[in-house]
Amino acid sequence: MTEGLIYLDYAATSPVDPAVAEAMAACLTRDGVFANPASPHAAGAAAKAVVDAAREQIGALVGAAGERLVFTSGATEANNLALKGVLPAGHGPSHLVTTAIEHRSVLDAAGALEDVGIAVTRVGCDANGIVATDRIAAALKPQTRLVSVMLVNNEVGSIQDVEAVARVCHDAGVLLHVDAAQGAGKVPLDIEDWGIDLCSLTAHKLNGPKGVGALYVREGLALAALIHGGEAALGARAGTLPTHQIAGFGKAFEIAAARNETGGLTRLREQLWQGLARIEGVRRNGDPSRSAPHILSVSFPGVEGESLRFALADVAVSAGSACTSSHAAPSHVLRSLGLSDALAESTLRFGVGRFTTEAEIDRAVERVGAEVARLRAIAAGAPDWCST
Amino acid sequence: MLYLSAECLGFPLNFVLKSMEYSSEVRRRFSAPAMAGAIPPDAGRTVAAAAEDRSLRFWVRFEVELEQAEIGRVRFRAYGCPHGLAAADLVASELEGKPVDAMTTIDLEGFASRIALPREKHGKLLRIEDALLECHRQAAAGKDE
Repeated sequence: MTEGLIYLDYAATSPVDPAVAEAMAACLTRDGVFANPASPHAAGAAAKAVVDAAREQIGALVGAAGERLVFTSGATEANNLALKGVLPAGHGPSHLVTTAIEHRSVLDAAGALEDVGIAVTRVGCDANGIVATDRIAAALKPQTRLVSVMLVNNEVGSIQDVEAVARVCHDAGVLLHVDAAQGAGKVPLDIEDWGIDLCSLTAHKLNGPKGVGALYVREGLALAALIHGGEAALGARAGTLPTHQIAGFGKAFEIAAARNETGGLTRLREQLWQGLARIEGVRRNGDPSRSAPHILSVSFPGVEGESLRFALADVAVSAGSACTSSHAAPSHVLRSLGLSDALAESTLRFGVGRFTTEAEIDRAVERVGAEVARLRAIAAGAPDWCST
Repeated sequence: MLYLSAECLGFPLNFVLKSMEYSSEVRRRFSAPAMAGAIPPDAGRTVAAAAEDRSLRFWVRFEVELEQAEIGRVRFRAYGCPHGLAAADLVASELEGKPVDAMTTIDLEGFASRIALPREKHGKLLRIEDALLECHRQAAAGKDE
């Protein structure tokens, strides 16, 4: 990590917990559990036991049977597998319903499906980033095969009522996929009790390693594989299982379940907001009563976004979301909430996490306040379009 | 902990900042824009003009103090990216002490080069030029602010 940096970008990724690193290290070297879990010998069986244990650890946090997990390279691949696995090209007319505020890995996969003739409906949200279940129900058609909705929005933290969406889908005989990359371990999720058919998970948002995720696939549901090459997990993905990654994934979810950090994260987030709210004219995006505990999205009218982010180079935060911060166009999520281009551009996403301290929050508030004041002073007298 | 230790495989923050996309000139002028602000009301003859480009999210306003046929103090206000702010600061600093007509002969390519301005941001320099041309027009017309 960089000396002097205040890290408040836990919604983008999180540092690996030392206990997770230890679990991973035990699967790497000659004296560890390094063998191929598919190998028919004792060393392979030991590796398979590690993978099976991780399945249980992951499943326990999210209410799913561990054996129904297909390990992937992360949530992006899991989302692609869910959409393209249910709606493969060349199988006649099909319809996908998703929302306008999904992660790019869902929206771009939906776009790719559209290119091969699958109809896609993108349901909008309200000013707080909440997608009404009624609007999803109204978007269903006889050809609809899949609904894809995120549990927690990665930019503003809004929590969708996926349990209600699941009921609507099942009443209509439609499959439901939930992207839970940002929400698992942070907000309630009970995959099988709620009747979710497919659910994307990732390790690195919960102090696990990057490069590993999973797609939960309900029993009896078959997916078209994206990656071929020998025996495939649940028929959906071929490839040697990365034991060390999976061990870290499992340990991270086990720790998250044991610690239940929701209350602590909420307190840190509110401490941050109470500090930032003292800055004149700031706007909090999303409804705090329906928001994930670790995400805070704040707009700073009258401050140009690129300048604000550069001025805060010692405070690691994202513009809107990490995945859109390098793009010139304002965030599609913030635009969906009704923000102007200028306001969307002036928005920062803060993410608190396991290792965030109250002192860091205080320091970040001080730094943001100072830079907003400095940049506003330089822009004194600017026309209204710079701040509305 | 608030700050992570340097010895844990870390890089100094200044090293990381240097690797970002802005030149040292931009970083310096953005961090401490000496020419930002306003000319005091008790100054001598002063002209002022603004220009903007909403598509580039850039607005700039110059105040130019006139001392006979020379430019006295120059101050600016700006809303924009670090490149835009640095460009305004650089141009303002270069104009002080020059003949008034220097406002009509801004070396756009030269300034762009000095701050390594990305091509897609060159329109911001044109707005700076627009504002200064208007200041010059006012100066030539003998118009006080």
